[in-house]
Amino acid sequence: MKMWYETEGRDEDVVMSTKACLVRNVKGYNFPSKMDDKDCKSLLAAVDGAIDKNVFSGGAATDIVTSGDAATLMLAQISGRDGSLLHAPDKKAIYYSEDYSLSVAVGNTEHLTIKAQAPGHDIGVYKKAENVAVDLEKKLDIAYSEKYGFLTSSVKMTGTGLRILYTVAIPAIAKTEGGIAALRQRVGQYEWNIYPFAEQGELNESSVYIIASVSTLGVSEEELLERGEMLISDIIKAERACREQFATKKKTQMKDLYGRAYGLMRFATLMSRREVMESICWLRLYRDYDDSHEFECTWKMLNTITQEVCWEQQRRNEINTQTSQKRRADRIKKILKGDD
Amino acid sequence: MRCARCGVELTNKIIKINDVPYCENCARIMGYGKFLRSPEEMLGSAFSPFDEIASTIMQMNELDFGNSALSCPKCGMTLRDFEKRGRLGCIECYNTFNDYIVKEMFKQQGESTYGGRLPGQSAEMKNIKTDALPEAKKEETSEAKAEPETKESSEVKEPANAAESESVSSAEMLEKLAKADLGMLSDEELKNGIKLAAENEDYVLASKLRDELKGRNGGN
Repeated sequence: MKMWYETEGRDEDVVMSTKACLVRNVKGYNFPSKMDDKDCKSLLAAVDGAIDKNVFSGGAATDIVTSGDAATLMLAQISGRDGSLLHAPDKKAIYYSEDYSLSVAVGNTEHLTIKAQAPGHDIGVYKKAENVAVDLEKKLDIAYSEKYGFLTSSVKMTGTGLRILYTVAIPAIAKTEGGIAALRQRVGQYEWNIYPFAEQGELNESSVYIIASVSTLGVSEEELLERGEMLISDIIKAERACREQFATKKKTQMKDLYGRAYGLMRFATLMSRREVMESICWLRLYRDYDDSHEFECTWKMLNTITQEVCWEQQRRNEINTQTSQKRRADRIKKILKGDD
Repeated sequence: MRCARCGVELTNKIIKINDVPYCENCARIMGYGKFLRSPEEMLGSAFSPFDEIASTIMQMNELDFGNSALSCPKCGMTLRDFEKRGRLGCIECYNTFNDYIVKEMFKQQGESTYGGRLPGQSAEMKNIKTDALPEAKKEETSEAKAEPETKESSEVKEPANAAESESVSSAEMLEKLAKADLGMLSDEELKNGIKLAAENEDYVLASKLRDELKGRNGGN
């Protein structure tokens, strides 16, 4: 079974993935930060009884943490970059579908966090998440008010409890002077938000950004999705236009950087995350304009490498940087050789 | 409305300090008694020391309103905790801290009214397809890349293609045009749009499209 991000997606040259996240709380229980052990157990049991076991595997977060699977990319994505879901695992549960594209986290910052993810640009993730939410809303007594909608512990999510997130790789806009500032302004016009995947550390110049919805009040789900679709279409168009500019105006330079980046990724023995992300930027910029066809490098390969490096978790037994750099380089070689 | 400090319901006299409501008693305890004097008292001391007023204003800006003793009767969450963490403890907190929550909602989203679906029901999707997504067409992409100046975003392309299709009504087409970002439409699409809008007597849209077209041609 392929993982969701290993399959092809629409507009994958720019949009790496689309994610819909819905949060819900169950009536009769305090929100997670104020829940006692007894309530935690009772909530976990209630949700376990309501989860569709034909779709979801998993269960108590403790089992996942002790099995060592928590370090895998997929679970890192479900548990969040801060790994908050894996703190106090005895009070939490994680359910996930076979390809990990659908997940339900229980007892994290809200009682239920439903996530649906898909590669590329695919707003169909909303319906997938909604189907799970509707099913749980029918089986559980969900906290809801006519005035405010779905009640959540974070006021930022009160209302629809919905966030749509597009993960985009936009090296051309990022390398264009004033590109990100202009994009930020455009995103703001749609009342959405843009932020880099990592503000600091090795990935701070990765050119990977998250475009996220903000409004949960005053808009319907449909309006929110419509705005998102309009916005992401603008971004795709802008990024492609900027790539075109680079490829035509600085052809020789771009071709050189493209070849160097490919060589580094294909043959290096040690690779830091920063090196990988820098090289990937050049590959993305020139991949569609390379007329030599000497390098086998598909968008799927590039997105798989980006996803894995972005969400890479430090393995417990790897305290040595060289070991992790070698493992990373070997993995990239394998992907680029098409052995994956 | 409730007092931000003691939580008492404000009925007769509401005192606002930095836009935060307090009861008279709390305002006096906080040292604002001298500003709560009646006009008669005020007239009796016409020469109020200005430096005293200035220092009081400075103090007002530095006040920590999160010190309020207001707390949720169900989970024990205090207003200070809410302000600090931005999270509520239970559903009852929505009643206890209602004014602050609404304020927070406005601050973050400029809205406090719900516009989404009901629990257990699917959201209506009239204008957007969320299930069967069209396959990515690489030919289209490369074509678009070859001619960036004619490349259009998908939501803009839709109305243009729809105009050619008999299955899509002109009303739908007009609606899409009205919603579209005019800057993204080609001159040809604008001309077609003006024609269609005029035929359907949507003169507001027609003039909008005409202005956009005019603007591109330097107002001529």
